Amino acid sequence: MLLSCTWLSELLGRPLDVSPPFDAGNPFSAVNIAARLTNLGLEVEGVEYFELPKIIVGRVDDVSPHPDAAKLNVVQLFDGARTIQVVCGASNLPPVGGKVAFAPVGAVLPDGLELSERELRGVVSNGMICSETELRIGSDGDGILVLPSDWEPGTLLQDLVPGIRDAVIEISVTPNRPDALGHLGVARDLALALGCELTLPPVSEVTTGEPMPTLVTLEAGDRCPRYLGYALEGCRVGPSPLWLRVRLHRVGLRPRNNVVDVTNFVLFETGQPMHAFDRQRLSGERVVVRQAAAGEPITTLDDTKLELDPDDLVIADAKTPQALAGIMGGEGSMVEAATTRLLLEVAFFEPRAIRRSARRYGLRTDSSHRFERQVDFAAQLELAAARAVSLLQQLSGARCVGHCDARAELPVPAQISLDPDHVGRLLGMDVSASEIARILQGLGVSVDRTNPQAWRCEPPSYRPDLGRDVDLIEEVMRHHGLDELPARHSSSPEELPVLPEDPLRALANALTDGLRACDLHEHVSLAFTAEEHTLPFVSEFQATQLVRPVNPMRSQQGCMRPHLLPGLLDAVAYNLGRHTRPLGLFEVGRVYLWPLTSDDAPDSGNPTDEVDRYLPTEPSRAAAIRAQRVSGDSPTGELARALTRDLSATLARVGLPAQLRAPTQPRPWLHPGVQVGLWIGDREVGVAGELHPDLLAGRDLGEFELGYGELWLEALPPLPTVQFQDVARFPATTRDLSLDLDTRISSAEVLAALTRAAESAAAPGDVQDPPRLANADEPRRPIELLEDYRGAGIESGRHALLLRLNYRAGQRSVTDAEVQALHDKVVAGALEQLTRVDPAARIR
Amino acid sequence: MAADANPTPQEQLDAALLGFESALPQVSSEAELYELQVRFLGKNGAVTKLRSLMGKVPPAQRKELGQAFNRVKQAIDDGLAGRKLALAEAARERNLSRHVDLTFVPDPPRPGTLHPITQTRRELEHVFRRLGFDVVDGPHVEAELYSFDKLNIQPDHPARDMQDTFFIARPEHDPREGAPSLVLRPHTSPVQARTMLRHGAPIRIIAPGTTFRRDDDPTHSPMFHQIEGLYVDRNVTMADLKATLYRFVGAFFGEGLAVRFRPSYFPFVEPGAEFDMQCAFCFDGQLSHGCGLCKQSGWIELGGSGMVHPAVLEQCGIDPSVYTGWAFGFGIDRMAMLRHGISHLRHNFEGDLRVLEQFTSP
Repeated sequence: MLLSCTWLSELLGRPLDVSPPFDAGNPFSAVNIAARLTNLGLEVEGVEYFELPKIIVGRVDDVSPHPDAAKLNVVQLFDGARTIQVVCGASNLPPVGGKVAFAPVGAVLPDGLELSERELRGVVSNGMICSETELRIGSDGDGILVLPSDWEPGTLLQDLVPGIRDAVIEISVTPNRPDALGHLGVARDLALALGCELTLPPVSEVTTGEPMPTLVTLEAGDRCPRYLGYALEGCRVGPSPLWLRVRLHRVGLRPRNNVVDVTNFVLFETGQPMHAFDRQRLSGERVVVRQAAAGEPITTLDDTKLELDPDDLVIADAKTPQALAGIMGGEGSMVEAATTRLLLEVAFFEPRAIRRSARRYGLRTDSSHRFERQVDFAAQLELAAARAVSLLQQLSGARCVGHCDARAELPVPAQISLDPDHVGRLLGMDVSASEIARILQGLGVSVDRTNPQAWRCEPPSYRPDLGRDVDLIEEVMRHHGLDELPARHSSSPEELPVLPEDPLRALANALTDGLRACDLHEHVSLAFTAEEHTLPFVSEFQATQLVRPVNPMRSQQGCMRPHLLPGLLDAVAYNLGRHTRPLGLFEVGRVYLWPLTSDDAPDSGNPTDEVDRYLPTEPSRAAAIRAQRVSGDSPTGELARALTRDLSATLARVGLPAQLRAPTQPRPWLHPGVQVGLWIGDREVGVAGELHPDLLAGRDLGEFELGYGELWLEALPPLPTVQFQDVARFPATTRDLSLDLDTRISSAEVLAALTRAAESAAAPGDVQDPPRLANADEPRRPIELLEDYRGAGIESGRHALLLRLNYRAGQRSVTDAEVQALHDKVVAGALEQLTRVDPAARIR
Repeated sequence: MAADANPTPQEQLDAALLGFESALPQVSSEAELYELQVRFLGKNGAVTKLRSLMGKVPPAQRKELGQAFNRVKQAIDDGLAGRKLALAEAARERNLSRHVDLTFVPDPPRPGTLHPITQTRRELEHVFRRLGFDVVDGPHVEAELYSFDKLNIQPDHPARDMQDTFFIARPEHDPREGAPSLVLRPHTSPVQARTMLRHGAPIRIIAPGTTFRRDDDPTHSPMFHQIEGLYVDRNVTMADLKATLYRFVGAFFGEGLAVRFRPSYFPFVEPGAEFDMQCAFCFDGQLSHGCGLCKQSGWIELGGSGMVHPAVLEQCGIDPSVYTGWAFGFGIDRMAMLRHGISHLRHNFEGDLRVLEQFTSP
């Protein structure tokens, strides 16, 4: 909302200093008014200053065509003292004796151009005849500004037209303050804050003619509780005077004609929208306020053709809708040059319905903006109507010949009981009862202090936001100011409960720290993704499980991510396009999926169950990716291995060591031969591997090797508290083992075979405290993987797996001989199992 | 008697000592020294063996021979010990003569980093935990009921336009009727409603989390992060809110920075106010003189706050005639940008390694 300080000054009944902020000490300077508005909760977005210090009225004394340019004229202008020669290209030069706005040599135009003597095709021009646009007092740039012929040459234009010199303050008005959507409401706040008297807009003595009950038929009284209609005759439609055009331009409006300009002027003055119909073009010369029939057509002023909804409220004539009520007038009855008879509407519409209709058609107008926030239905409505009738009479010569005040059930003003002590109790500072009363009454609230502990307050009808005592307390706070508010803790008699920690939050934090400790960098990606990027995961969920915004901003953000990989891949692609360094990123966050079955979740007993059972799932994931350019023929699997190690190390770090073995189901987006599951007990808690070459090719990342892995937080057990185990008092004895195996036999399988063999080899009861493979819970694993060797000395398709087996007894040292005997049994048992899948398996 | 043919025990001892003394200077390591010791004093050592001669001399000479034997043994022991000391000294000299250039260190790997938003969120959580707040969160896909209605933002009210909200489509495969309308939460405030519904009053929480709005321009991202604070108890005042914000700003940005309120409107609080802090980046201990970060104003806008609207308390099952409360909220992303001097919002979500790797932290 743009505020003209000239306008405010009229309503405050005193001048305001609208010069750029030189005098910071003057409370009535625009800069201080702006600061005051911000402190009143009307936040200032900016202040702009306007003035035209040297632009004067010039009289055209002679016009002759330019000798050397067909479109230019040489004008002799009288500036009040002497005659000056100016070259002008406008086609609307007034005849000799006419007045124009003249910028002499030395004047500076608002765009910064300083005028100097210039030669235009051989003719000297000493200044410029200006258009509205050049002076920034209007939007008509087609021709020069022609002034009334009775204006005195040489007079400064800004002395003749109020509002040329002005400061315009832009405020953002919060939705609770419809009253501040007009200068009057803002001035009311300022008057109280600055200690001056509010001056209501002048209304000249007007007759409103005879009551004409047939002028308005109120069929939908619940949607329009009050409708003032005025019949005016003898209207002469034409351009508005310059002061009005400047005023509208200052608040961002384009002048149309005197009738429309008056309605807009009063709207910006009082906050009350209104509409003028060409009464002659209304069938039956009257209006009916009713709801639309389904599909009923209307063409609005901006030439939009709408088919109406029965929920829409229309202002119809005897036959068809002539306006979408409170939002926009219809083309059929709009005021035109030939219009002479008007029907002026000043109404109060039910706010929510206006908002529904405005949204339905995407029509946001100055009018709907105010109606949906609720305008006044009482004194200010009447004031606005009188002001408009008076101005129309003044500016268009229209006489009011009849009126109608159609009413239905009006809103009941709130009756608020206010305990003045509650003000101080809620704010935490003392505010005297007299100060509270001063502020409330200053804002138009009627205050009955009969009961000192329960004042009866009735807010004015232009403040629909004041409905409870806290609303009044806010008013007191706004005007009393918060500068004195102490920073002081209150004391409460009750113990605060300590809420349970969310274990998932702790786990996410722990994994974040763990992945970071693997020298990975944390990334946060937008939780949206393109649907095409979810295709690689179709084997894991169905397309209908995707969570989709109804109103995404772009198709690349068409659904919520069902997986962390797409976001990390985007970041990888971003980086690989910009530098050549190896990359390691991770992200811990949620993914979004609808559950496949919609069986009502069992009640958890929470009051939020009623909602929660309809929500999608938001499982948490921790994912990491490593990328580098492939150096040789094909990727080495090195990054997938690094990633697997990152995830294993991260889990081990938080006390949840995992085993590696085949995933339950191979992931089609990972390389079929380079992927692994992470398991804790019999629960798969994550997966890692090398990204599938097809996926990379689809992302233009074919030259890169990418390792990716993720952990599923919901699958992980709670973070354990470590239980101390006494250190082994007797040393372990080790045996190294090198096996020659087919590469398709995984280390996990070898480990499993050795473990099984060790279990059956150590026959219980045989010996007291026999040696065994050292327990996995001890710091050194019972079987350590030392090397996976491929290359010279090993057939292709095979590898040498070097392992170390740790043996120990519980409470004694073991002898070499008994360990060797056990080891031999273990190896033999394992080989027996391995040769079943790889007949060539052997010890190297 | 051919005395010369058979050396006397004394002569044998002398010969052994002579042999030891000539071998000792050749010894150049502890291991060789040990070998030498074994050669002379070991179980079968040259000197040890001579002990058997004791039985072969007449008893009268035994005492003398015994003493001679001990003298030789002592001489060897002394020789060994002296040599050992000399070897250790030489080894120490050699060790000390080494020189390693520690200014040459192969480039260490770049340490992993936490995202500035994570760091800032954790720091905020840490500060508020110290101030006695519990940390809670809720779903990102949230019912309109909790995002708006329970927060005193009525349907068809213009306050709904204060944030442009993403709506979420129901899944086709879910035939259930009566499902609530869902949104991506446009603020963390639904967590307030959920926590009050579930735990009642008194309560003191912060709710940091991810939020979404249909905004995408140089200063807005469709996804961002907010933190929300809520305190509901008996006798809670706006002055208490100011005290809490003051302590928070002191703990997070530095002691002594002032906090001020500007009246504003948020449907879930009444009275409502925006809160600013004195600019920490041009603060001299007393005044903030204005800088680029505070647009020369000396103040930095942080967020919105106010006394919880009694209608919100009622909606969430708390009696507003018994309890009052306050709430505040602000953006974590902006806080992170302020804290680290991040120039542009887009750096937050692109994942540029050259950006991320800068944010090392303890």
